[in-house]
Amino acid sequence: MIKRIPWWVGGIAMALLLVFTFSVFGANRPIGASTYVPYFAGILFDLDPQKYVYLKEIHNPGSWEGVFLLGVLVGAFINAIFITKTFRFTIVPDAWKRYKNDSAASRLFWSFVGGFFLIIGARMAGGCTSGHFLSGVTQTAFSSLIFGGVVMASLIVTGKLFYKKGGKDDV
Amino acid sequence: MYSAQDGMIARLESMFATVTDEGHGSVLLVFVLGIVFGSIIQYTKVHKFEKIAGFSVLKDTVVPKMLFLAIGLASIMLYFMVKMGYASYHIKPMILGGLIIGGTIFGASMAIFGKCPGTGPVSVAEGRIDIMVGAFGGILGGLFFTLFYEPIFKPLMGPNMGKLSILNTWSDSPVVILIFGIALVAVSVAIPLVEEIDNDDIGYKE
Repeated sequence: MIKRIPWWVGGIAMALLLVFTFSVFGANRPIGASTYVPYFAGILFDLDPQKYVYLKEIHNPGSWEGVFLLGVLVGAFINAIFITKTFRFTIVPDAWKRYKNDSAASRLFWSFVGGFFLIIGARMAGGCTSGHFLSGVTQTAFSSLIFGGVVMASLIVTGKLFYKKGGKDDV
Repeated sequence: MYSAQDGMIARLESMFATVTDEGHGSVLLVFVLGIVFGSIIQYTKVHKFEKIAGFSVLKDTVVPKMLFLAIGLASIMLYFMVKMGYASYHIKPMILGGLIIGGTIFGASMAIFGKCPGTGPVSVAEGRIDIMVGAFGGILGGLFFTLFYEPIFKPLMGPNMGKLSILNTWSDSPVVILIFGIALVAVSVAIPLVEEIDNDDIGYKE
């Protein structure tokens, strides 16, 4: 069984999936993957969608992405168990140990903070890597081109400031 | 539309009903699109901390190479699909404050967390406990955003300047999209391939 595909095969496959999803043969809409988070938050915390303007605004895209996300979770779980054999419980990623530290508490703290602000940022910008970078730039949208440029710059500046200088194998 | 009194099960049922009624593909199709999307991410390993945080320290370039290739090819294909009437554009609005503040917060979080909202679920499904904790943080982030949308976030995001794109403001000639798409593919090819290794990843060597 194939356990890994090269980046260019992935890039071509992702392009085909994007265009198929956009088309009338597919879903006639773009792929997005961050609206489902506040949508599920509304369900989990039992917020009344009639009371919160934002929940009303995201009702339709949130539902679509909710089902899409279930596909991602179920598919990735089955792949991880039977094909890629990558399922295992871990806390600290290998590279975190090299770039940052060996502490599980530190990794969990920063994961929590990172996850929290990741969603705040995505919802402020109206999209994420999927909705803006993949689906948006594909349509030559100015909003997505701006988002893409700002995210890349912020990602690399943060990487420089937050992690050890290029990891411990650098002098 | 449901109300909060209906409980969680009813609200999940409403999710499926909304997808069925909305006309953007059946529940089964959307579910399968999710499986394919997740599988492409999983088999290229672009969801891994080593790939995303690795990119933030410029030690892994698989993520940008794959992203630029995908959008370069897709932009050209989508243009002709739209011209033939088989697809339409769904452009996100220009909300300058939201894009700049949100994009800055998003990029910084992505470097530290090592995931984005589309890749995180793949790692959760592979048993990464740090990402499950981060996903819980994300749910709270979504809750916080929903609760304070009108008083805090909407004013910060600024006015909606409209759904602008290169094609709808400048020129929608095929020459423009070909230059745009080919330039993105060229960027993808030009970025040198460097890869970070996860020594814990048993599937890596195969």
